[in-house]
Amino acid sequence: MARYGMVIDLNRCYGCYACAMACKMANRTPPGVFWARVLRGEMGVFPNSVRQALPVLCNQCEEPDCMKVCPTGATYQTDDGIVRVDKNKCIGCAYCVMGCPYGQRYKVDEWKSYFPEGLPLSPYEEHTKQFWEQKSGSGVSTKCDFCIDRRAEGREPACVQACSAKARVFGDLDDPESEISYLIKTKRGFVLWPEVGTQPKVYYLPPR
Amino acid sequence: MGSVKLDGQVQSEWRWLIAAYLFLAGVGGGAYMTGIIADLAGGNEWMLVSKVGVCLGLPCVLIGTFFLLADLGKPSHTWRVWMKPGTSWIARGTIIIVIFMVLAAIHTAFWIWPFAGPLEVNESARHIIGVFGAIFGFLTVIYTGLLLGYSQPIALWRTALLPVLFLVSAVSTGLMAIMIIAQSMGVAMAQLDIMENIDAVLLVFEIFVLIVYLYNAYRTLESRPSAQRILKGPVAAYFWLGVVLCGLAIPLVLELLGGHGAILTIGALLGLFGGLCLRFTILAGGIFTPITAAGFEFARIHRPKDPMPAAGKLPPT
Repeated sequence: MARYGMVIDLNRCYGCYACAMACKMANRTPPGVFWARVLRGEMGVFPNSVRQALPVLCNQCEEPDCMKVCPTGATYQTDDGIVRVDKNKCIGCAYCVMGCPYGQRYKVDEWKSYFPEGLPLSPYEEHTKQFWEQKSGSGVSTKCDFCIDRRAEGREPACVQACSAKARVFGDLDDPESEISYLIKTKRGFVLWPEVGTQPKVYYLPPR
Repeated sequence: MGSVKLDGQVQSEWRWLIAAYLFLAGVGGGAYMTGIIADLAGGNEWMLVSKVGVCLGLPCVLIGTFFLLADLGKPSHTWRVWMKPGTSWIARGTIIIVIFMVLAAIHTAFWIWPFAGPLEVNESARHIIGVFGAIFGFLTVIYTGLLLGYSQPIALWRTALLPVLFLVSAVSTGLMAIMIIAQSMGVAMAQLDIMENIDAVLLVFEIFVLIVYLYNAYRTLESRPSAQRILKGPVAAYFWLGVVLCGLAIPLVLELLGGHGAILTIGALLGLFGGLCLRFTILAGGIFTPITAAGFEFARIHRPKDPMPAAGKLPPT
């Protein structure tokens, strides 16, 4: 069975937010919810400072803290290592939002339009809302699932496909011949916050 | 490491509703424990105090659980918290508070109302139920501290001092609630004085724990933004006016002066309000630790300086 992971090359990423937007379009997330985000960091004092973008998404940890704290067992791991939320079991206690070391959990009370209240929903919004209710539901915790619908169609996750810098590589960590295994091994791949011991499956390559 | 001051992302999911639950569970558990101690140590002389304490246990925690339910995204699915008691403190906590409420209900029903008598006659049975109830009252009070402490990214909560702080505050506020009610029911002045003195000691101890807690939070790099947020940030008003002034200073002074009647009631009510503010301060002070990668520090928000306009609101015209 595959064990899916992702590699994000920080040397290539220039922080265009295309992944965040592609994720929004593919998963129809409501305002304020970013399953894929881009964080900005700065090191040093101006003028001797460097800026760096850090795209983040759910790390699909091997030992997820969000699953440990989930009181109902709504958070579960699929056979290929993806951490998902069962919307029928989630009670919306938001403990996973507090528990995830990477802040990739979003409790969504209800799907909201981007446009001011009182305006009728456009056909696209109607579709978007319906899609969201069907897949994620309201009043529950939601998270990235490496675009499970797209992968079922044999496509890559939206953020990977949209990356204009080709900084993202998606693949099977169990396959030693895969591109991401090669990149992690040869280019000093690291994970975020390894100290918490959740064994993330999203790897980063150092910026330089 | 990054020398730029980052605006950390503040946790926004758990606010007043959860604070109200933490507070009410504290008052209920604390009052029940105090009542049992009064019963075990004081005997028949302290009967009224003990009964008031036991009576407060169930209603306070029960009302608190309604606040919890109100905070859930899907209250109709609440029964599912029984499905995985293994690792989650919410699941364990639900079991704890349910057992506590059952024991407190039995204790109240057979000692005070409506089937008063059985436990009045059978003192050892009452003590046994009381001890078990007090144990679960104790767990009701401290499990919330452990629950918050399990949150990896919020360093302010990840400390063993939090359950201690909650415990001291719970017993202190529980005693205050007992004093208000017992006074209106005409408890002996001498007993009121003793309770005031005990509560004053508890308040001093709470001040001590709070100072150590915040000092510790400030000295830890990850939780320093949280401590700053509490001491001089947006939460400072709740902390200094609510917790320090209303919750600790005024009740302590009034209790040391030993006033009775309206003065005691006012002091105790302010103390209870302070207990609520303490819970809210701790919750609202929670800030997610920034993520570090390759020597950079990354705040968890998109663009700290340029927040997105709130969606769904018409822009001013």
